[in-house]
Amino acid sequence: MRSLRQWVAKARGLFTRKRLDQEFDAEIESHLRLLTEHFVRQGMSPAEAVTAARRQFGNVTLLQERQRAQWSFVSPAEWLGDIRFGLRMLGKKPASNLAVVVALALGIGINVAVFGFVNALLLRPPAGVSARSGLVEIWLHSRISTGVQSYLPFSYPDYAYYRDQSRALEGVLAFDGDGDPTIWNRSGEGQVIQGELVSGNYFSLLGVQATLGRAISTGDDQPASPHPVVVLSQSFWQRELGADPGIVGRTMILNGAVFSVIGVAPPGFAGLLVGSAPDFWVPLTLQEQFTHDKDRLTNRSAYWLIVAGRMRSGVDMARAEAEMHVLAHRREADYPDSNKNIDAVVYPVTLVPGPYRGYVRAFTGLLLGVFALVLAIACTNAASLLLARGTGRMREMAIRSALGAGRGRLIRQMLVESLLLATAAGVAAVVLAWWFTRLLLELKPASLPVTLEVPLDWRVLLFALVVSLATGIVFGVVPALRSAVVDAAPVLKEETQSGGLRTSRLRSLLLIGEIAVCVVLLAGATLCVRSLLHASSIDPGFDTHHIAVATLDPATLGYSPAKVDAFYRQLMDRVVALPGVTAASYVSHLPLGTARESTSAGHHAGHGPDKARVDVFRVAPGYFSTMGIALLSGRDFTQKESDSPEPGTVIVNEVLARKLWPGQNPVGKRIALGDEKNTSEVIGVVKSGKYRTLGEDPVAVVFRGTLPPARTLVLRTAGDPRPLLDEVRRSVQAVDPMMAATGTQTMEEYMALPLFPARAIGLLLGASGLLAVLLTAMGLFGVIAYVVAQRTHEIGVRMALGAGRSDVLRMVLRQGMVVTLIGLCIGLAGAFAGARLLAPLLYGIGANDPATLIGVAAGITAVAMLACYVPARRAMRVDPAVALRYE
Amino acid sequence: MGEKKSDVLQGTLDLMVLKTLYAMGPLHGFGIARRIEQLSDEVLQLNEGTVYTSLLRLQQQGWIDSKWGTSENNRKARFYSITRQGKKQLELETENWERIAAVIGRVLRLERQG
Repeated sequence: MRSLRQWVAKARGLFTRKRLDQEFDAEIESHLRLLTEHFVRQGMSPAEAVTAARRQFGNVTLLQERQRAQWSFVSPAEWLGDIRFGLRMLGKKPASNLAVVVALALGIGINVAVFGFVNALLLRPPAGVSARSGLVEIWLHSRISTGVQSYLPFSYPDYAYYRDQSRALEGVLAFDGDGDPTIWNRSGEGQVIQGELVSGNYFSLLGVQATLGRAISTGDDQPASPHPVVVLSQSFWQRELGADPGIVGRTMILNGAVFSVIGVAPPGFAGLLVGSAPDFWVPLTLQEQFTHDKDRLTNRSAYWLIVAGRMRSGVDMARAEAEMHVLAHRREADYPDSNKNIDAVVYPVTLVPGPYRGYVRAFTGLLLGVFALVLAIACTNAASLLLARGTGRMREMAIRSALGAGRGRLIRQMLVESLLLATAAGVAAVVLAWWFTRLLLELKPASLPVTLEVPLDWRVLLFALVVSLATGIVFGVVPALRSAVVDAAPVLKEETQSGGLRTSRLRSLLLIGEIAVCVVLLAGATLCVRSLLHASSIDPGFDTHHIAVATLDPATLGYSPAKVDAFYRQLMDRVVALPGVTAASYVSHLPLGTARESTSAGHHAGHGPDKARVDVFRVAPGYFSTMGIALLSGRDFTQKESDSPEPGTVIVNEVLARKLWPGQNPVGKRIALGDEKNTSEVIGVVKSGKYRTLGEDPVAVVFRGTLPPARTLVLRTAGDPRPLLDEVRRSVQAVDPMMAATGTQTMEEYMALPLFPARAIGLLLGASGLLAVLLTAMGLFGVIAYVVAQRTHEIGVRMALGAGRSDVLRMVLRQGMVVTLIGLCIGLAGAFAGARLLAPLLYGIGANDPATLIGVAAGITAVAMLACYVPARRAMRVDPAVALRYE
Repeated sequence: MGEKKSDVLQGTLDLMVLKTLYAMGPLHGFGIARRIEQLSDEVLQLNEGTVYTSLLRLQQQGWIDSKWGTSENNRKARFYSITRQGKKQLELETENWERIAAVIGRVLRLERQG
């Protein structure tokens, strides 16, 4: 009770210190004056009285200092002393302290790196957006479906309605979330660049000012008369135009139309969406020149706009959302056909669009959970080392306590030391995190059109600070409390040097816990890595070697169908003549990519219950042989069928064949696709592969012979396809200088994209498992080595009394191995239980895969054995004579 | 944490200050110092500054209270007064002190035997 009240008074002192100081000074001064007057009344001269008063009152400064100590927890001078002493103590054991700092820095650093990604994707407003407060994203939400599919972007008419009707929002902007690949006519040669269609108020609402010229304004974006103007991104302007200061006012030919450059966006600004890094922005109402859709500004069922708004001051998210609900209801009443059951929801503006935040959160949450375990190992590590060292410092603690240091004082000293260690680790962790982040970003396949800034801003630094301090307290508090329980007398009488029974038991418990967590982590990581290896060894159903690909879209230039066909024919003639090319063909889109087309398939035309959902690929003759896909029966398309607008023939994959005609030969059978009135003839069956993702269940696929204007060229080569890529690019330019291919790459490079998630997760989990083993080995080694050093005297006595070297070796090894085996058993039980949680994530491997568990157990035992053997050997070499003379 | 060093002396001073406030009613620091000086017949030489340390300690325990007011010669001064809890504590400490003093007295009166 008494100390509680004192603490409250001290806590209050934290906030009112300055006032308390002043009042106290005034009180002393008045006391001195009264005392002086008192002495004068007694007959002293004023000068004498002042001196006498001072003498009788005592040391004013000392009093003030004591007073401050009373209402503050610790005086600054004492803190400094503690820190200075702590640094000196830490300097005495540089090697083991370095080990602790490195272990903690790895553990903290990897957490900070993951948090950096969380911050960049979910917490930070997009770079370059200065109007930070009050930006919200608005999404349409279908009340009758669930998951990500239930969220829709806006149609233009809906956007215009919300923009004009909202009162809670100061303004509502919109942009085309898909991005618009555009052919830029660069002095007669085509180059593909990325554009983004934005509403006229986009820049002004975001508060983004052009660094050169001006940004797009509402006046530029009038549906009746849109201005053909373009704002360039800073990076495009620097990369492609050499940062030409006279660019404003010049013209650019985009998709065959003339635009005038009105400005350059500020550095760092890359739009509001993760991954999209537009080279230029143009007014939304010019959409037809970029999307080649005539009716997008009027079609109420074309959902293509991502919408965001800025709240008026005094409006919060709840009020904004309430208003959106009202607007959605009114819209529903006005247009029941297109807007039935469509609601509107709001999210804060960050790089990841609202509906997808859940996924990113779950994924990064899982990673943070795993890495928190790694950090827990690092903490245990540090705690057991400090505990071991605390035993060695018992004499010091005993002396300090005998000289009058209180228990709190000793605890504080130990905590200061562990906080110093944690702070050093935190600083190193930030550097490591920076490096980890670069490393993780490097993992991203070059073909993934995503740029992501992961800055170490104040949020990340704050996270690092909090985690470091928490770590310091967590690993420091047990050893500190333990070290302060010192019975000075026996220690000072040199009765004992090694720690008491309780300390060594606690140390063993920590080690056991560490090993158990390590087993769980390593087992989980090994399972995931093995499952991912399984996934990446999955046969995609086509060759991934000796194939080059390039994507083309002549429709961006507004070519007629005849011109498109002519272009592809000429290009084909050219590329098959290239040296090393053995086959070539076209396909509407590559399997395992982001594009998809699907329809329904059945025996008879019209709607029926027997219709199956099928994916559609449109291919030119020779596609199967070029891709190395086996034709199981029937034949390939002919050139004649490919040229005809309605060939009436299709090829199916095995899955579809088995679904529609089980046990029969489908060749020659009729198939009804979608709403088509005429059925088509099946002319061939090909082996099934993977079409959407590598882990998918078998997908039914139909291949058709008619191709859209946008196609991917596939080339089969005799040798390495890499040198051919430049030839392919040159061939495209030679056929039509205005055309440009995107994604010109080898199939191996292309496959990096579908394999990316598996590789990234495998690498991260593998790293966490390795780190766990490394840290645990360090912990075991450190503690055993310390114990051996402490027991040098005892070992010397044993040897002097006749114990052999092998006895000593066995004794030390036994100590380490008992701890290891107990930890192993607990860990295996934990892994067994925890694996059930992991089971749904695993592919082609059981959660309790015995080989994995046995392998992990054997591996950890081996590592532990090694970690104990090195110090044990040192113990074996103890010279009894030296050991006994020691101390 | 330094306050534990001279528990006995501090305790005595605290007791004296408490008793003074109990007997005299609200007083400022100077007044307390004068009163203790008078009562001790100059036997107890005391750094008057330590009175303030004692006052703060008592205040943090909640045994005394303080208010700013005007002294007899119209100066601003802080007046201390004993609280109800302080009175209880005073009773307790007084009893304690008397018991210990009695014991010590008895011990000191022991005659040499044999």
